[in-house]
Amino acid sequence: MAPPAKATTKKPDPKARALKAAKAVKSGASTLKKKTKKIRTSVTFHRPKTLTKERNPKYPRISAPPRNKLDHYQILKYPLTTESAMKKIEDNNTLVFIVDLRADKKKIKAAVKKMYDIQAKKVNTLIRVRVYPNQTQRSLKAPQENGGYVCWGQIN
Amino acid sequence: MARIKVHELRTKSKTELLNQLKELKAELALLRVAKVTGGAPNKLSKIKVVRLSIAQVLTVISQKQKAALREAYKKKKFLPLDLRPKKTRAIRRRLTKHQASLKTERESKKEKYFPKRKSAIKV
Repeated sequence: MAPPAKATTKKPDPKARALKAAKAVKSGASTLKKKTKKIRTSVTFHRPKTLTKERNPKYPRISAPPRNKLDHYQILKYPLTTESAMKKIEDNNTLVFIVDLRADKKKIKAAVKKMYDIQAKKVNTLIRVRVYPNQTQRSLKAPQENGGYVCWGQIN
Repeated sequence: MARIKVHELRTKSKTELLNQLKELKAELALLRVAKVTGGAPNKLSKIKVVRLSIAQVLTVISQKQKAALREAYKKKKFLPLDLRPKKTRAIRRRLTKHQASLKTERESKKEKYFPKRKSAIKV
């Protein structure tokens, strides 16, 4: 009784499947659920946050970092030895230096400490322009904390 | 101080070179002070010597560094941009020799079977 058996097994297969599908649609099963619409509460559209990766270069663009071109020796160029500067050394306990234009007060303070072992209490700077149009240098006055001063004539 | 000889510098190590650089720079600072305060002429003439030796030391340092970096990157696929050949911008953008010489299979077969013949008329 092979043929009739085959016929009967074939028939319910597609029919049963069709019935099953119809049932699922009717009952609203989770597999066939319609996609829910996103509720928008604002008029403007803002870019959603996406994944941001850290930089991980396959090769560095510059082979080695450049050396620091503004080191202490470059910052303090030379001291000023004009009459008024000399007066300042004696009376006001300050030193007057010609300094690189790119140095700021903090760097000047550190440089003076490193090179001459002087603790500067205060640093004033000004940019010299008038008399020396070719040079752009900053002069600094560095008062010393302790009473002593350095006389430039003795260094030689 | 004797005049610096560059071939002696090249034998030194990096720390030694940096120390030497420091000493030279300190010396230069002293000389500059002397210049301002009216120093002796022998000091003033030394300024140029010291400046040049500083330049020589820096050159040797940077040459050594570059050579060491090139060694480090020898096996790698990607080089940093300053280690690649500089030439000119246009030359860097040209096809490489290999890329320019590539031929299609068809073309190479044509060349093989029908090479350009040279002929001349006998006088």
